[in-house]
Amino acid sequence: MTAYVRSLAARFVRRRQTERELEEELGSHIQLRADELERSGCTRAQAERHARIEFGSQERFKEECREALAGNFIDRMIQDVRFSFRSLRKSPAFFAVAVVTLVFGIGATVAAFAVVNAVLLRPFAFNDPARLLWIYAQRADGARTNFSLPDYCDYRDQQTSFEGLAAIGSYSANLSDWSEPERVQGVRVSTNIFSILGLRSLAGRSLVMTDDLNGAPGVAMISYGLWSRRYARNANVIGQSVQLNGEPRQIVGVLPQDFALPNLDTDVVVPLQPESDPRRSARNSVSFLRFVGRLKPNVTPEQAYAELDSIRQNLRRQFPDASAGKIDITIAPLTHEIVANVRVVLVTVFCAAIAVLLIGCTNLAGISLTRAAARQRELAMRTALGATRGQLIRLLLTESAIVALIGGALGVLMETWGQGILLRLVPSDLPRIQTFSIDWRVFAFASVVILIATFACGLAPAWLLSRADLREALLSGGRGSTSGTRRLRTWLVAGQIALALVLLANAGLLFRSFALLSSERPGFDAANVATVRLSLPETGYVDRAAVVNYYEALRSRLAAIPGIQTVGLVQLLPLAPKSQSTVPFTRPDQPLAKRDDTPWANYRVVSPGYFRAMGIPLLGGRDFVEEDDENRQPVAIISVFLANKYFPDRSPAGQRLTIDDTDTEPRSVEIVGVAGPVKQSSLEMPARADIYLPLRQVPKEAVPWLRYNTYWVLKTSTATTGIERSIRGEIRKVDPSVAVGNVRAMTEVLAAALAARRFSLLLVGSFAVAALFLAAAGLYAVISYGIQQRTREIGVRLALGATRGRILRMILREGVLLLAAGITGGLVLALMMAKLVANQMYGVSERDPFSFALVSLLLATISLLTCGIAARRALNVDPMEALRCE
Amino acid sequence: MSNEAELLPGTLDLLILKAVSLGPLHGYGILLRIGQISGRALLIEQGALYPALFRLVRQGLLKASWGKSDNNRRAKFYELTSRGRKRLREETDGWNRLVAAIASALAAQPKEV
Repeated sequence: MTAYVRSLAARFVRRRQTERELEEELGSHIQLRADELERSGCTRAQAERHARIEFGSQERFKEECREALAGNFIDRMIQDVRFSFRSLRKSPAFFAVAVVTLVFGIGATVAAFAVVNAVLLRPFAFNDPARLLWIYAQRADGARTNFSLPDYCDYRDQQTSFEGLAAIGSYSANLSDWSEPERVQGVRVSTNIFSILGLRSLAGRSLVMTDDLNGAPGVAMISYGLWSRRYARNANVIGQSVQLNGEPRQIVGVLPQDFALPNLDTDVVVPLQPESDPRRSARNSVSFLRFVGRLKPNVTPEQAYAELDSIRQNLRRQFPDASAGKIDITIAPLTHEIVANVRVVLVTVFCAAIAVLLIGCTNLAGISLTRAAARQRELAMRTALGATRGQLIRLLLTESAIVALIGGALGVLMETWGQGILLRLVPSDLPRIQTFSIDWRVFAFASVVILIATFACGLAPAWLLSRADLREALLSGGRGSTSGTRRLRTWLVAGQIALALVLLANAGLLFRSFALLSSERPGFDAANVATVRLSLPETGYVDRAAVVNYYEALRSRLAAIPGIQTVGLVQLLPLAPKSQSTVPFTRPDQPLAKRDDTPWANYRVVSPGYFRAMGIPLLGGRDFVEEDDENRQPVAIISVFLANKYFPDRSPAGQRLTIDDTDTEPRSVEIVGVAGPVKQSSLEMPARADIYLPLRQVPKEAVPWLRYNTYWVLKTSTATTGIERSIRGEIRKVDPSVAVGNVRAMTEVLAAALAARRFSLLLVGSFAVAALFLAAAGLYAVISYGIQQRTREIGVRLALGATRGRILRMILREGVLLLAAGITGGLVLALMMAKLVANQMYGVSERDPFSFALVSLLLATISLLTCGIAARRALNVDPMEALRCE
Repeated sequence: MSNEAELLPGTLDLLILKAVSLGPLHGYGILLRIGQISGRALLIEQGALYPALFRLVRQGLLKASWGKSDNNRRAKFYELTSRGRKRLREETDGWNRLVAAIASALAAQPKEV
């Protein structure tokens, strides 16, 4: 071993000394031989001459000695690298193009992978996440729904498949401490959730069993985001007492950074305290809980489902009224649920990035082929001098490896620095994106990509050229390329065109979906409408009367602000994310055969000015008035969908509906008006049944929700600036303890509803454009190269009398064939992969022939133009020049 | 028909090890010694010796050091290391076994088959 290292040192470290010694050693050998010859009678000079001739070529043996030293391979690598650098320096254009292509290609791919890694691949912070299940109930119409508190207690006590079952409900609160009050969105959980998930607090402690007991002092945990934002990660805030909805609670800990639950914001976490909740025995109370459970070691999800379903059926038998509508249980792996919405989008974007990288690499492969073809003579010489095929391949690969390494390193560097920009581009509600970081997986991926890029760019020319016929290369002066080169390049370009078509088709479909979606009428007029979200504290607003008083006070003040035309209120704004409020209803004169078929409608509490402020048309009957209060008959306004579906035979005005929005019996309301359709939850879902109730008649069970969730809707005469300050001022004047959310224009809310789609379209679209560009460049290169190769042939044809037009047609024909092959391949590929993007489509089929035809046409046009431009060079060939140059 | 035999590939190393085992030598000396002990029956190219020597040094079987020859010329002397001695022993055994096996195969008579 040491002998090997010493030998290495002799080669690299003590190189000059080793040379000298070698020279001396061989020299002394010859001298000793000469001595012997001299002893047998020759003169000194004769003897030395004889000895030298006998010995043979000193240089050759010296070379063999050098090779016998250790580190042969390293030495050759260093030589290859030096040579590659020199040759790259000599063609700076190629070097620049190659590096830039790879920097962007690899950078974009690694960036996309980093996001995919952060959201989808990174292990979740939960303990053994495979056994965690997220549990919903399911309605007859397939929609998901929640469980009620008594349901939870029964499931929890009766189940045996889980090590623990926790309940989670959303919790909206007004947080007030020593600074400005803030609305926070969190969850109310049974405290066993922390042991079920296997999570520990980042600071302080988690909630424990004793926090859930009756009469326990109020506690809460805050999220990492809230801790950073509001308390600047100050550890002293732990142990402090704050007010949540007027209740004093002590902050006992901070949640771990990547704590996430499906479709729920978790700014604060408070104990559920099921036993002390007034709804504990109200079977009919609101269903607001979802479950999470950890399977016991030997239990499969199917077994758990069977058990839960049997519990559900038991509950139905015992409490048929309360359990109506919950016809099934849905269980899903928790980790899936957290990222369910975004998985497909992310994977699509990632695939698009890979496609662009592939196209870029193919371009480089093509260029490298050309360069290598020009080096045929040099390679032939090397082979003649004794280079093996392996050595040639290694030489060519070294060059592409250098390019790939430089490009890749720069790309990764760019990605690391550009992290900030990347995170700004990504929609901020992407789950788990807050804890984005670049970990070993990203580096490993980057290395693999660089490796692939090396081989993609270098292997084709290396393999092809090491097979070339030497004699022909040496004789022809090295200008020719083998037909193999050209054919390979042609196929490469056809592949590029196919890939570009797939990307373009995808982008086209996304674009059409986006365009159709954004042109969807949401049912309201968002122009000049400002919205502000308020949260009333529990103290001072215990009942409906107090809320109504506040409403009256604020309304008159806001209406007095110059520029404000109409003031309205709603407890849930259309297109507000992550919230829904629904209520079952029936037509009293048409009782249903099965309780499970009870239809559900969106439940909205509004003030009389709401419809006018939002520009929602009233298609029949009347709007609410301030006189629709507790002294009068309960009234309601329904949406036109409900009217058409459930009152097809007559006008709904004056009819009655039975709705179940209290903890006791369902109540009857009189329909006084019909409102136009409104997209309540998302632009993609069609408008459904809505039931609007007037603020003054809201049942007492809805008051807590209303207190924490009111959106004020203000129609202004023009887009006035500075109105936000006036609005906030008035709100503060009425009651400074009210937490005010952001003042957002309704147009902003509308845009936010499209944000995720817009992002996805932007990315895939950019990639598609890049792909188009690269494919066109590749096509141009191939055509130009072909012309260059056939200069002599063109010259001869011209000399023999062909018109320039015929030459042009001849060249174009090749280009068109190439194009046709590429487009056909691309169409086939796109159709095969269409199913993968099916669920991102809106209003357009994933196999929409119009879109496909359009992008094919676009690609064909651009490609033909490129061919044309490239082919024009052929027209400038001077026959005499062509025939002469060799 | 010459009395000298061509060297089978790989046996040069063995001969060098043997030659050096009889005492440290410089390159030219090794050449002479091999000629001596083989009764001048083996043909060795002069220059080919040196790459073989370098190889054996790299493998740790020989040790090299500069010294003075008989007629006061500066030359590089090679001697066996303990690993070299061990290798010589192993290779010699292996060679003898091979030779015995081939000889017996070549001496087979028709009636022994």
